[in-house]
Amino acid sequence: MKLRDIAYTRSGDKSDTSNICVFVYDDADYSLLVREVTAERLTTLFGPLVHGSITRYEIPANKGLNFVMTEALGGGVSMTLRADPHGKSFQSLVLDLDIGPHRPVSDDG
Amino acid sequence: MAAPTVTIGCGSAYANDRLAPAFDLARSGRVRYLGFDCLAERTLALAQIRKMSDPSKGHDERIAELVPLVAEFTAGGGRIVGNFGAANPPAAVNQFVSVLRAGGRSGVRVAMIEGDDILETVRCEDFALPELGTSTSTLADRIVSAHAYIGAEPIVAALAEGADLVVGGRLADPSLFVAPICYELGWDVTDWSRVGQATLVGHLLECGVHSTGGNFEDPPHRVIPDPWNLGFPFAEVSDDGAVVTKLPGTGGAVDVRTARTQIYYEIGDPSCYLTPDVTADFSHVEITETGPNAVRVRGAGGRKRPELLKVLVGIDHGFKGIGEISYGGPGCLDRARRAEEILRHRLAALESDIIDARIDFQGWNSLFGDSYRPAKEVTEVRLRLAVQARTREAAAAAVYEVEYLYFGPAGGGGVVTNVVPHIAVTPAFVPRERVSTNVEVVVT
Repeated sequence: MKLRDIAYTRSGDKSDTSNICVFVYDDADYSLLVREVTAERLTTLFGPLVHGSITRYEIPANKGLNFVMTEALGGGVSMTLRADPHGKSFQSLVLDLDIGPHRPVSDDG
Repeated sequence: MAAPTVTIGCGSAYANDRLAPAFDLARSGRVRYLGFDCLAERTLALAQIRKMSDPSKGHDERIAELVPLVAEFTAGGGRIVGNFGAANPPAAVNQFVSVLRAGGRSGVRVAMIEGDDILETVRCEDFALPELGTSTSTLADRIVSAHAYIGAEPIVAALAEGADLVVGGRLADPSLFVAPICYELGWDVTDWSRVGQATLVGHLLECGVHSTGGNFEDPPHRVIPDPWNLGFPFAEVSDDGAVVTKLPGTGGAVDVRTARTQIYYEIGDPSCYLTPDVTADFSHVEITETGPNAVRVRGAGGRKRPELLKVLVGIDHGFKGIGEISYGGPGCLDRARRAEEILRHRLAALESDIIDARIDFQGWNSLFGDSYRPAKEVTEVRLRLAVQARTREAAAAAVYEVEYLYFGPAGGGGVVTNVVPHIAVTPAFVPRERVSTNVEVVVT
């Protein structure tokens, strides 16, 4: 199962920091979200796109997580030469994470 | 007696936003206030460049088109707050006043808020630029702009002076809404938990269609009605929370999902969202659907506002050039890679004036790099060269090499090139007392 099957996201930018918030459609999936979608897995997923740290904040009141990634936008929205300077597409990359009991062990991206 | 309420809507979320939804809201009779956010991180630096080449420019470029809205809306008792001034608030006020007068609309009280432009301070002193690992003194004359984020206080002062239209420069996005809410509901601007709640409403309104279905659909999982006709959001705010909605007949959606994605958009620690007005706490916000396309939001908190104000410093980074060319069919990626090799050889000759360059293949690795690779095959790719150059000529020469790829590997087509001044923006943090604002009212 992909994260996209149970969750929705939005990514935003502040200078060189990108944040991605992730929410489950069904409140019952919140514990799965918290268990599976860790800062470590985002670190693997984003690889060299993110040079700084990735911090995860839990938002139980709204069944969501907020990931804050520093040095994530190639020096900042206005500095980078990347095709997507804001990291608008990052919200979609996160949704490709495999989750659930049958996720492939070797495929951590 | 009914609890006091204020109605407030979004009129704009950035410098190039559509105006029709703002006219719709202004004419709807549903809102007393409209807040216009006209700025993004780079907008001010670019406005500063326009002002340097023409001192009468550097303000919002939609003012002439907006005057009919201002004339009508204020005649009906409506009030408008916006950062239309960008890098040049006096020019924005002059244009509003002269066009309103020319149209025979007298008696409009237009307030100007100045003080956000601290370029001289930043040039004369040394402030750290943490994201660049340097400080302002080392960049000296490459600094083209420095604007401090201004909070709700001077806007409240302008409203108290009876302003129908409040025009500022870098008024912080949520503060455009925080000020009218506090003013109308009698909330003190140091009542941190109420200011936190007002900031939540401001955060939901300031991004416009981001609260009504913009940047949201992901078929088949998330689909909204008529996304070609998104309405702007507005709110009815009281001590009991705020109901956020949109006009009947507009497209999009306002529900728990759209509210969640916007509330936690562009924030860090949800319990510690810093604005000039407050350290807001969005970690316990309750969102309830109260009807079709309506949500009640409550439960935001707040602590004392930060002592340091964020300042966006604009830096001259030369010129940015972009060139693109497409390859399709069998072997398209190999041909695009061969084209990259040609470009690298040709760019080597320009090296001294090229500060940075990157080549990506759209449809293959331009968004997520080479480490993310679920797709096995690709039927078309678009080579994209991006350069940062010291001079316009060097940037133009670099992207010309993309055009010349018409004579490179077979089948390259659809060249597009572009060269623009490259203004970078980076944050600094300045003690609040170093930034003083001034409010002045002109009557048309």
